[in-house]
Amino acid sequence: MLDLAIPQRQSSLAIVFLGLRLLRSLGLTQLVILALFIVRGPFGGPLVLVPSAAILVLGAVSALAWWRYTFQVVDGELVVHKGVFRMDRLTVPIERIQSIAIDQALLHRVTGLVKVVIDTAGSAAAEFTIDAISRPVAESLQRATVTEVHAAANTPGPLVPGAALPPPLISDGDGAHDGGDEGVGVNAGDRVVFTHGAARLFVTAITAWPLAGLLVLGPLFALGDDAIDQVLDRVPMLDDSRLDGGSFRWWFVPVGIVLFMLLSVILNIARVFLQDWNLTLHASSTSLRRTSGLLSRTSKATSVARVQVVSSRQNPLQRRAGVHQVELSNVGEGDLSLPGCNAAQFAMVSELGGSTPIGRISPARRIHPVQVWLRTRNAAIQAAVLAIGLYFAVGWWSILAFAFVPFVWLMQRRDVANFRWALGGELTTSRRVIDSETSQALLRKANSVRITQTIFERRRGLGRVHLVTAAGTVSVGMLPIAEACAVRDTVLVATETDSRPWM
Amino acid sequence: MAEPLANEPIPVDDLPALDDDAFVSVDPRYLRASLAGTALIALVAVVVAGVVASQAEQPVAVVLIGAGVLCVLALVAVLKVLEVRRLAYQLRAHDLSLRSGVIIHAVESLPFTRVQHVNVNRGPIERAIGLATLEVSSAGPNIVIPGLTEADASRIKLLVTQRAGVDLDDSAPLAPPAPPSLPALASSSVPAPAPFPAPSSPAPPAP
Repeated sequence: MLDLAIPQRQSSLAIVFLGLRLLRSLGLTQLVILALFIVRGPFGGPLVLVPSAAILVLGAVSALAWWRYTFQVVDGELVVHKGVFRMDRLTVPIERIQSIAIDQALLHRVTGLVKVVIDTAGSAAAEFTIDAISRPVAESLQRATVTEVHAAANTPGPLVPGAALPPPLISDGDGAHDGGDEGVGVNAGDRVVFTHGAARLFVTAITAWPLAGLLVLGPLFALGDDAIDQVLDRVPMLDDSRLDGGSFRWWFVPVGIVLFMLLSVILNIARVFLQDWNLTLHASSTSLRRTSGLLSRTSKATSVARVQVVSSRQNPLQRRAGVHQVELSNVGEGDLSLPGCNAAQFAMVSELGGSTPIGRISPARRIHPVQVWLRTRNAAIQAAVLAIGLYFAVGWWSILAFAFVPFVWLMQRRDVANFRWALGGELTTSRRVIDSETSQALLRKANSVRITQTIFERRRGLGRVHLVTAAGTVSVGMLPIAEACAVRDTVLVATETDSRPWM
Repeated sequence: MAEPLANEPIPVDDLPALDDDAFVSVDPRYLRASLAGTALIALVAVVVAGVVASQAEQPVAVVLIGAGVLCVLALVAVLKVLEVRRLAYQLRAHDLSLRSGVIIHAVESLPFTRVQHVNVNRGPIERAIGLATLEVSSAGPNIVIPGLTEADASRIKLLVTQRAGVDLDDSAPLAPPAPPSLPALASSSVPAPAPFPAPSSPAPPAP
């Protein structure tokens, strides 16, 4: 049995991971460009040796960082010593640890090591990481903490204790299982809430907006014009010389658009499968954890208390397929994104986040229809300003600037007709213009509440109420001001009478 | 046999409402501090316009531009006067509210339990006229109350700090809206919240 009271050092291979992290913090792309500039640029003599010297320095710093990074468990506290030029001592009381995730990315698999991500409560930067240790050491650390963490997790609140979680299976084929996700460490007491199978991921990928897959090409564009030119040179249709001399045909445009979208959908399928393969949501009595990934398994955890806003989004295709893009917005960096959830999974996630599922609330309150007039009037004013500006460039054609005013009117009519909200244990909003969106913020987790009134709203006795949480704001506008004030007072009472942890 | 859980609905009208008349305006001297920056910019604009006009071939154009800048600054000054008149705060037993905004009116309320820390800042102009700015920080937007006397700022800071450190107990009911006057904070103990007025309502809802 490993004695964690003795300071433990990471595996020596952690030097590589520390070096990579250092490079990332310095800006990997910029460093590569700088190195190429020095090596291939108009320099000679000793300057060419700079990259080699930099690699040596990087290796030395990484080795020193590895040597000085130790961790141990002493008197109920996890103590980490680290630092290169100065020594830092981090102390985390074990009862404050929300979860310990063991993560094994591709490089870790090759080297047989794991990464440990420790999630604590009460800080925006929620996690710190032990880059590379052997699995037995990681599991010893997990065992040493999990028992105390779960013993201390006696939080009163709506969350059901881990043993009493709802039946774990809402799965699409890969099968749900208790606490066993190969390759990624799962805490004892975790339950699998759902797992997305290949069919669900495929539906998720093809129902995304048609151009979503082009995000994959983002890094390519970031590399600069040279890389783009090289890519374009290899595509015969895009070769400039072929477009010269009148060889352009009108059907290039629709065919190009179709090919472009096809490429995007294929890329999106690849992206979703790589990123969200075997997407699994685990829940314990105090935390939620999302694991996914094909080539490298990633694990992201948050404590339930940190969840501030539960929201979902659907485009028309996703509505037809019954697929929700669910987001749990948290304090700090711990937002959990759960694409491809069906209605039952969305309801389950809402409950785990502490909210009442929106299907049970059925928001029915509406907003004042004068919003249609306000937004259309504002659009007409903007169109007038634009038309005046464009008149000097294109003459009377500038009057076409007013063409978007009827569009705004139509969209606003649709927005007002479909917008619904409700006030219960949470402020719930639901809207549908083209995409559908729902947001729920628990009243008891409100950070502050604000009422605003523009001149237009004041003249009509209306106002807008904003429930501000530590991870986002849920607003309802165009309400009678008395109703807005009543919402504000209800939120304040809920916040001020509830002693449960809110972040 | 245990008593059945009482969980009666509470009419919204019975909730403690924020009283519009209980807001306390900031010190009128804050108007001077607020206008000082605008006056400084106006002075610089006049000096620059004068110097440039004396050297320019078309001094009329320069003077017209300078006059335009002064008109804008005058408008800003008018807005600042209106803003200071509207700026007010309200302290209750469990929260702090700030009323602000001229074109867009806003009332923001921050429960003491959400306060992360409190600062009292004194800039050079504020120091000269004996005022201070209270900055109440939370995990979301901060509440900044300028134009407080130094004594009031310190007392409110102490109150907020003490209240922010009090653990809420389920048995501690809400207090009715506090009177606009500041509570005396001579002793270090936190004033106990007054009971929730409940002639017709048993208890506030616990969500």
